[in-house]
Amino acid sequence: MTPLLVFQRISKSFGAVRALRGVDFELRPGEVHALLGENGAGKSTLIKVATGAHTPDGGTLMVDGEVHDGLTPALAHDLGIACIYQQPALFPDLTVMENLALRLEKPASFARVRWTDRRKRAMELLAKVGAEILPDSTVNELSMPEQQLVEIAGAVGAEARIVIMDEPTASLTRREQERLYGIVRALKSEGIGIIYISHRLEEIFALADRVTVLRDGSSAGTFDVCDINEGELIRLMVGREVTHLYPPPLGSPGEVRLKVDHLCCHASGVEAVSFEVRAGEILGMAGLVGAGRTELARILFGITPADAGTISMDGRIVTVRSPSEAIDEGIAYVPEDRRRHGVVLDMSVAENVTLAAHRRYFPGGWLRDRIEAGAARDAVERLAIKTAGIDAPVSSLSGGNQQKVSLSRWLATEPKLLILDEPTQGVDVGAKSEIHALIRRFAEAGMAVILISSDLPEILGMSDRIAVMGGGKLIGILPSGSAAADVMAVALGQSGTPGKDIA
Amino acid sequence: MKDWRYRRELAVAALLGCILLGLAIWAPAFYQAQPLLSLATREAPSLIVTCGMVIVILTRQIDISVGSMFSVCGVVCGLLAASGWPVWSLLPAGVVIGGAMGAVNGVFIAGLGLPSIVVTLAMLVALRQGLNLFRQGEFVTLPDGVQWFGMSQVHGQIVVLCATGVLVALLAYGLQRISLGRHFYAVGSDAEASRLAGLKPRRVTFLAFVFLGALTGIAAMVNVVQSPQVQPLSGYGMELKVIAAVVVGGVAISGGRGYLWGAAVGLLLLACISPALVYLHMEAYWEKAFQGAIILVAVLAEGLRARSARRHRTDFS
Amino acid sequence: MKFSAGSAWRRILFRHEMLLLVVLIVEWLLFLHFGTMTNRRGVTVGFGTLDRQFDILRHSCEIGLLALALTPIILTAGIDLSVASLLGLCAIVFGQLTHDVGLPLSLAIPLTLLAGGLGGAVNAGLIAGLRLPPLIVTLGTYSLFRGLAEAMTGGAVTYTQFPSGFLALGQGRWLGVPAQAWIFVGVAVGMWMLVHRSVAGRFIRVIGFAPEGAQYAGVRVGKCLTFVYVLAGLVSAAAALVYTARLGQAKADAAVGYELYAITAVVLGGTSIFGGKGSVTGTLLGVAVIAVLKNGLATLPVVIRMNSAEELSGLLTGGLLLFALVIGMLPKLLSAVCIRR
Repeated sequence: MTPLLVFQRISKSFGAVRALRGVDFELRPGEVHALLGENGAGKSTLIKVATGAHTPDGGTLMVDGEVHDGLTPALAHDLGIACIYQQPALFPDLTVMENLALRLEKPASFARVRWTDRRKRAMELLAKVGAEILPDSTVNELSMPEQQLVEIAGAVGAEARIVIMDEPTASLTRREQERLYGIVRALKSEGIGIIYISHRLEEIFALADRVTVLRDGSSAGTFDVCDINEGELIRLMVGREVTHLYPPPLGSPGEVRLKVDHLCCHASGVEAVSFEVRAGEILGMAGLVGAGRTELARILFGITPADAGTISMDGRIVTVRSPSEAIDEGIAYVPEDRRRHGVVLDMSVAENVTLAAHRRYFPGGWLRDRIEAGAARDAVERLAIKTAGIDAPVSSLSGGNQQKVSLSRWLATEPKLLILDEPTQGVDVGAKSEIHALIRRFAEAGMAVILISSDLPEILGMSDRIAVMGGGKLIGILPSGSAAADVMAVALGQSGTPGKDIA
Repeated sequence: MKDWRYRRELAVAALLGCILLGLAIWAPAFYQAQPLLSLATREAPSLIVTCGMVIVILTRQIDISVGSMFSVCGVVCGLLAASGWPVWSLLPAGVVIGGAMGAVNGVFIAGLGLPSIVVTLAMLVALRQGLNLFRQGEFVTLPDGVQWFGMSQVHGQIVVLCATGVLVALLAYGLQRISLGRHFYAVGSDAEASRLAGLKPRRVTFLAFVFLGALTGIAAMVNVVQSPQVQPLSGYGMELKVIAAVVVGGVAISGGRGYLWGAAVGLLLLACISPALVYLHMEAYWEKAFQGAIILVAVLAEGLRARSARRHRTDFS
Repeated sequence: MKFSAGSAWRRILFRHEMLLLVVLIVEWLLFLHFGTMTNRRGVTVGFGTLDRQFDILRHSCEIGLLALALTPIILTAGIDLSVASLLGLCAIVFGQLTHDVGLPLSLAIPLTLLAGGLGGAVNAGLIAGLRLPPLIVTLGTYSLFRGLAEAMTGGAVTYTQFPSGFLALGQGRWLGVPAQAWIFVGVAVGMWMLVHRSVAGRFIRVIGFAPEGAQYAGVRVGKCLTFVYVLAGLVSAAAALVYTARLGQAKADAAVGYELYAITAVVLGGTSIFGGKGSVTGTLLGVAVIAVLKNGLATLPVVIRMNSAEELSGLLTGGLLLFALVIGMLPKLLSAVCIRR
């Protein structure tokens, strides 16, 4: 039986970042092939190569035994490859039926648009995937899971032979998940090959026939699901976990630095959150995707100010209505989306380092080159940032070094409270442990640290206490040394959608 | 939701209705057939260019060179007519010349990925001054039989209006009912998503500029036949008027959203201000100030709508 | 390795200001060589004479001021189409204040600047306060300001007969140099300090590169945007004073179309319309290239015979702008080709 899709030694780089370093992969007809890997392991890049959105730098790509060098999205579409992206690739201004039609109809330029047919077709497909969505509603009126259902309906309608699903259940309710499993099994029975990406191991064991583990841009092996157990998979996926040493925690934290009391923000769905962090303490924040952790950080940093509740720093109630007010209060936030928010890619390392602490470096409001160069060199040395020079644009740095630049920007403000949002996401292993050591050093220097992470080993290894969030609420605080299972139990127990994984 | 899909367009139409009603009450003289016909005919070229501009703005681009293209098309076709080309051949000639200029814009913007506002700014300046250079501001005198196609003025005006109406209706139909029309929307809504859906965004963008160019050529023809001479500065300032009409008519400058008929109503609204001021015995030189105020109100309304929509969504990160 | 070598090569050779400087020098030498002819009045006007150079300076001052005002705005990835209309409005305000109200210059000048600042504040309120798209907002104020100027004068009134002390600002010389040149130099130095040497200038560039990133870095985005648009209003008002003084009259159609030349100069100067990249030096060179082209062409015998300096320079400016854009894209296109290989 010819495999539907074969990757041989596929590689792809973005500037200095090597996203894929020679990946082998194979998809047979009628199988569900799970793709497993941590964030930044290269799953998304691999998918985009398969759909023609990225052209690989090297390696061979075969569809139905035929080599395709220049796969384009249009060609991939014609070959029957459909993809349901994690971030739905829909047209926000257009209606649901038009979104489906654009995906399903041949993109001929001068065909008559049959709106009645389009509506009928859309209603059929939406019914098939069990979505209660009006075909006339505009996509930007829909919620995230609804948009995902539209994507799935599109793939079903395209009668694709290769369907790629990128964490399709991440934002679905239990009922929607069950329906999705049904759809996946139905597709499989029709001889369609499915590449299924998920963090949820239980889901993989229930659905998949084979599983390929990706790590740091290369494949760590392909296995039949019946030949492998969860423990082995995690070891393959994480790789370093066994050897990775977290820096030892500090003995006794100091005074209460941050006290949050019944903090609410209606717009971002955070409800009545209360907790405190001491100087020198690292508070880990665990929770499901969409538990409200990033939203909480954005409230503390003044990006979406709170509607109710109080924030106190060192026992004094403070108002934080904008990031600049937060900085004045000694709060620093290293955001999750490094490339868009954490650094200014087009600016130099030096400019990035002094950006937030301009008041300290340039008190009169005028730039001073020598001071800036000194500060930048100091930061490069202290955080061991690998860069061609302090004048090099941040875009030329690797992910881990970009993250260090993002960190150094905030260290320059000498913050009292440092909030880190997924600080090691998309960072390679070496830089990861360096960043961990740095975080611990900051805490030792007396900073209060809030560490938000979806990497459970990281949370367990770094935190002095672990706060667990779910549904915009704080649902539990566990002591250091808790087992992964305990944290997961808290996160799942009250979230209302059991079965969701912590990652 | 569906009932409110056209709320913006209907609001503009209602405002236009109010002005027309006000004129009917306080200045019934406005409704004399001949001046009204002349007014409508005078605005026909702008209306056609507005349709083209809608296409370009829907694809999330902009073209500020239309005024210069309009002038060039008019003069070149005038010269062709003066050198003995028959009247009927002028229209295809205009389409070809305009389409070619649009294609030049398209090559730079879609082909090389340069920002449309700068490319068309360069075209605006180069074409305008190039025209001045070769014509030195001279008018082109047209041979007999070109003005109003050799018919009487009223008949000519009716022909022009009917042709414009049919063209606009066809374009409005095409944008909703022909797949290419929907591709303009798709590319403007999300170029990356359209690439993933197998469309060719660059080609679609290129075509949008060619369409605008060709429509500008047609509009120039509609203008040429209205007078015995071609004025070389006929398109001066047209780009801003047309863009204003598109914005007032509810087409989003960020692409992918809006209707052609909305923009057409927007243009009529802007066009009515000047005669309304005259007939209501106000001073006509307030026209520009009113036009500016209407644009600002339109963009303000759009901004407030977007803001409230954002507030209703729980997550906007 | 290859990549970094390429980018170093690119940095030196394709440094935009360098390119413009070469164009400027070539232009200047050409006109110096070919341009020494008599003009229509029969007077010899060598291009190389100091008078001629001062003349160029005098005539390019207003566009230069508007281009300087636009530079920080375009660096924030914004645009202001209304600068020339505001210039017209301010000229009329000044005319009314001195003639109809009868205020002395010492009051009329600050009040005119205030009017310019207010005009800028209208843009700023809509763009920075309500986050509306600058292109459309300033398209609206482009009409509004010009329309108000027309309405205030009934479209016909022209203010003339300004005191000679004021006219000296546009026609006289201070310390041997055209008076307005001092204002221009002052504004240019101020803008350069703002954009390249101040923290605010850095914020402006950050906003242009990454508006959200700026917010996350604690930049007060609204405040910065307000500042640049109000500043543009003030500089437009200053340009209005210089314009009125040079021509000795204030009319509602003052400086129509100048915004296009100013934007052209800024973009020609290498400032990216997408924000972040660009420099005041580039803008000054862009203004100089356009001004020398326009005035130099007028000294060429061929052009004098055809009487078409204005048109030819416009045509060449448009071509130059496209050329500059394509050159700017060249490294990107080349590296794309290299990576493909």
